[in-house]
Amino acid sequence: MSEKILREKGRVVRHSVVELTEHWAIALSGLALVLSGMFEMPMANRYYISSVPGLAWSADYMASLKVHYVASIVFVAAALFHAVYHGLRGDRGMIPRRGDIRTSIEVVKSFFGKGKEPPFHKYLPEQRLAYVGMVVIIAMLIVSGLVKTWKNIYAPDMSYAVVLWATWVHNIGFVFFILAFFAHMAAIVLKPNRPMLRGILTGAVSLDYAEHRHPLWIAEIEGASAARVKPPAIPAEESAGPEDPPVPAEAVAETPADALSADGETAAPEAGAVSDQKG
Amino acid sequence: MKSNDIPKLSRRSFLKTSAGVLAASGLAWPGKVRAGEIGRLATLIDLSLCDGCIDRDVPACVSACKTINRDTIPSVADPIPLPWPRKTVEDWSRKREVSDRLTPYNYLYVHRAEVEQDGEPKTLFVPRRCMHCDNPACATICPFSANHKHENGAVVIDQELCFGGAKCKSVCPWEIPQRQSGVGIYLHVLPDFMGNGVMYKCDLCNDRLGQGKQPACIDACPKKAMLIGPRQEIVALAEERARQMNGHIYGKDENGGTSTLYVSPVSFEAINKTMKREPGRPDMKPGVERQMAATDAVGKAVLAAPALGIAAGVAGAFKWLADRKSSLTEGGKKDE
Repeated sequence: MSEKILREKGRVVRHSVVELTEHWAIALSGLALVLSGMFEMPMANRYYISSVPGLAWSADYMASLKVHYVASIVFVAAALFHAVYHGLRGDRGMIPRRGDIRTSIEVVKSFFGKGKEPPFHKYLPEQRLAYVGMVVIIAMLIVSGLVKTWKNIYAPDMSYAVVLWATWVHNIGFVFFILAFFAHMAAIVLKPNRPMLRGILTGAVSLDYAEHRHPLWIAEIEGASAARVKPPAIPAEESAGPEDPPVPAEAVAETPADALSADGETAAPEAGAVSDQKG
Repeated sequence: MKSNDIPKLSRRSFLKTSAGVLAASGLAWPGKVRAGEIGRLATLIDLSLCDGCIDRDVPACVSACKTINRDTIPSVADPIPLPWPRKTVEDWSRKREVSDRLTPYNYLYVHRAEVEQDGEPKTLFVPRRCMHCDNPACATICPFSANHKHENGAVVIDQELCFGGAKCKSVCPWEIPQRQSGVGIYLHVLPDFMGNGVMYKCDLCNDRLGQGKQPACIDACPKKAMLIGPRQEIVALAEERARQMNGHIYGKDENGGTSTLYVSPVSFEAINKTMKREPGRPDMKPGVERQMAATDAVGKAVLAAPALGIAAGVAGAFKWLADRKSSLTEGGKKDE
């Protein structure tokens, strides 16, 4: 488990090198795919983009297809790696939990000064929901893109119905991907979320921020550390249910380390939101 | 046999040399057998037989093509929306009669080539239209899949889906598809900013093929200079004819192979020299390479990427498990 509290540095390690690599591989190759995908439409010449110094290649469909293919290799491999690697490890931190939709609405309201946001685990409930959305969009793009690539190389005369399905799933996925990208950027612009930017750039966030906004996560890390030092004095209890009201930050901060299960799962506070993405 | 049915493909000269092969292969089609049941088709254009219909104002094949496609293009918007920012409008609706080049209203024309054969001047007539390539970039990278290579070999643009961006024309080595602005789906989306009409070209009379008929141009040719049939048999026939006339074939390997094979007693280098490449009038450069072939290797790597990702994921997860186990073992020993 790479998550750890570095009190002397005032930071908490939020993402492992593997996770950072996955994120940026998908993000950067995804942006290259968006750009080259746009240039696969007849727009670079019409909109004089190819007249911009350095962008003459944008009107060359074969050049943009090559860029699209190269970026796809990174994108597809990174996405499949993510699914298999975290799937085998049993990471569930980004999988939505019951009540996430309701809590997300509360969180969004709190951004506009209505009410207080509840204490969070490592990820916000809307991050978990957005994750599923992004998984669906990326799956659409990858499956349809592979069909189109197969067609380009081996089967130009494959069933027209299949080609049309693949094309429109790809095109609609492309639009959704751009919308999701802008939503992702908008989320990071919101003031309460900004400290997380440091996390995805360096792997760590400030301890002060984490303790105030992600107390459940901090408790989990501390619990895991304590569990490594000695076996839990109190066995992990049954989850109290996802509908339970969020536990106040103060209460969680006071949660004794030995009230946590051996694998770092919180025993009592906000059950159902216990196991987080490891590594 | 009715003239508009798919005829027996074999011709007397060919039968003389390959009757046995024909009988064995079933090249002689029953008139009502549909193209789709036969598989990939190909056409043969024998330049030793085409006389350009010099006794007619318009060659019979061109005339038949124009007639059958008379109502293909719907009425054109008036005025045609001016695209932004590059204000390119292509309107052939007032020049529908043009028959000496490719236009949205003319999918076939006949080029007159003044060449020399054995030191003697000779006139050849070269019908030009879409080659219906085996792996056509115009179809495979159409962003809306409005253009598609069908199983029978015909490359067909669906005018209901085409936005008229002319990408197909850009990637075609012969720049065959021609645009008519002011028609098509783009008028209902964002006509000022996206799309610019519909691309048109020969579709090998795909509807007629589906009905067991042959393309109108082939049906109309008085010299039987054009033929259609199962691909392998057409290739064999083209090679046989080229051998007999000590001639040349064009279209077998060009752009990665096409479904249109020209046979000529004169080299295509010589014929190509008589062609000035200009809009609507493609040249005939031998050995044209398939542009997309340069992207195939990377494309194959894309197809391998899922396996790469899965293998790396499994390896990474097992390493994590091994590290975890070792860490737990060490922890246990310390506790002891």
